[in-house]
Amino acid sequence: MATNSSDGIDTKSLAQPLSRRLKLGLIGQRLALAAVVIGIWWLSSLSVPHYILPGPRRVWDALHLIAGNGDLWNNLAITLWRVAVGFVVAALVGLPFGIVLGANKHAGEFFEPVIPVLNTVSSAIWAIFAIIWFGISNATTIFVVFMTAMPLIITNVWQGTRTVNADFIELAKVLRMPHWKVMTKIYLPTILPYFFSGARLAFGFGWRVSLVAETIGSSSGVGYRLRQAADLIRTDQVFAWTLTLVIMMATIEIGMMKPLENYLFRWKKDAATQ
Amino acid sequence: MNHIELREQTCNDAAQTPPAIRLNGVAKTFTNGNQTIEVLNNVNLTVAPQEIVGLIGASGAGKSTLLNIISGILKPDRGQVYICGAASEEFNDWGSVSYMFQDDRLLPWRSAIRNVEFALEAGSIAKKDRARRALQALQLVELEGFEEAFPYQLSGGMRSRVALARSLVTEPRILLMDEPFSRLDAQTRALMHKELLRVYRLKHMTVVFVTHDVAEATLLADQVAVLSPRPGTIREVVNITPARPRDITQPEVTSYMQRLRALI
Repeated sequence: MATNSSDGIDTKSLAQPLSRRLKLGLIGQRLALAAVVIGIWWLSSLSVPHYILPGPRRVWDALHLIAGNGDLWNNLAITLWRVAVGFVVAALVGLPFGIVLGANKHAGEFFEPVIPVLNTVSSAIWAIFAIIWFGISNATTIFVVFMTAMPLIITNVWQGTRTVNADFIELAKVLRMPHWKVMTKIYLPTILPYFFSGARLAFGFGWRVSLVAETIGSSSGVGYRLRQAADLIRTDQVFAWTLTLVIMMATIEIGMMKPLENYLFRWKKDAATQ
Repeated sequence: MNHIELREQTCNDAAQTPPAIRLNGVAKTFTNGNQTIEVLNNVNLTVAPQEIVGLIGASGAGKSTLLNIISGILKPDRGQVYICGAASEEFNDWGSVSYMFQDDRLLPWRSAIRNVEFALEAGSIAKKDRARRALQALQLVELEGFEEAFPYQLSGGMRSRVALARSLVTEPRILLMDEPFSRLDAQTRALMHKELLRVYRLKHMTVVFVTHDVAEATLLADQVAVLSPRPGTIREVVNITPARPRDITQPEVTSYMQRLRALI
């Protein structure tokens, strides 16, 4: 017992400086990569007209402009809100559906073909349907995000439900645990990692398709602004919008998803030793 | 407190109460497609309160099935099970019957103390009381200081102790164990035997355990019931008289072991 815990402390104190060194090295590598990309970008932009490929300086100025007049934050907020609504509704529908389909064999067998069919329908098609049904409105984008995210979440939760350990169900049975408690105390924690990876995927896809939806079915939002900038041949602004999206996604991923995942799944061996 | 005193009056007094467990002509047949397997036939067994009873028999003799029938999660085809004098289907204090599985069966996403609490979560005990009782149970199995450890951080023996704490946290009158230490190495298993007997001396519950290990049965039990192979029926109940703790090097104990081996 004692040797066990002292082992744990030893490896920890050894691993700490090593991992920090690795981390610093990694940051250096990333910075170098960014410098190389920007360098190539800058070099290529020298020999091409700015409306084909604007240089980093031009894009920076365009970014400054849209950030300065509030355009950037307003549209980013609108798009983020639409993605969030579509995503949350998809999660609220997908989680119980996935659990029911996984836990109930008959329901699972019956609905099995629906998911691949939903997955094969392109988001662009959903966008066209959305315009027919909802016109130019928030609902169009939200619907497209929802239709893209929901099958992904259902599929993952469904898979997760299949991995529920029958031994744990037996344990709950011996303890005379009511059925709904079995759902919340055994099914839900088992499914959570699957739900999480599904939600992550769905959120990323939702972002991407929200732009498609906004370019054709909206009069606000990042997607709409992107198309507008393209129509006006303001390629520098197209780049500026793209850049903000990339930065935003990276921030959400590194700043929110990763820490949340590490906290939620700290009981997993590999997550904790990271 | 009141609750516990009441229990002691109803079914934990060896002198004048009904047996903790009584099996009367229990039979069980499983059907698998068009194949029927008669697992148990006419099993009769009486376990007095605060007695430790070992169930041994060849593999497939239906030991685990019998334990599941006692625990009420499996219904016998024929016969009757009585728990503390009440017919099994009318008995309603299953919270006082604990079951310890062959594997530790700890939920990997819960810390040690939260795993122990799990046994209290079927009912409606307040969160604070659950935590307090879980901590006491962990102290009882000498795991203080490891409350917040996740199962993957614990050794096999420690995980087994957490599982034992989870079985004890409900203050059971009856503890059922299905080869509970069979997956541990010999040394850890011996430690867990000591641990179990120590807890037994403190808590005085009725214990019924299934094992395929004759030595384990001889070291722990007051009585060993030997099940015959399929269909399982009680071939003989052997009283093990030497005082605990016992040692397999004691000639008396060795002779009991030889006798049991011959019976299986």
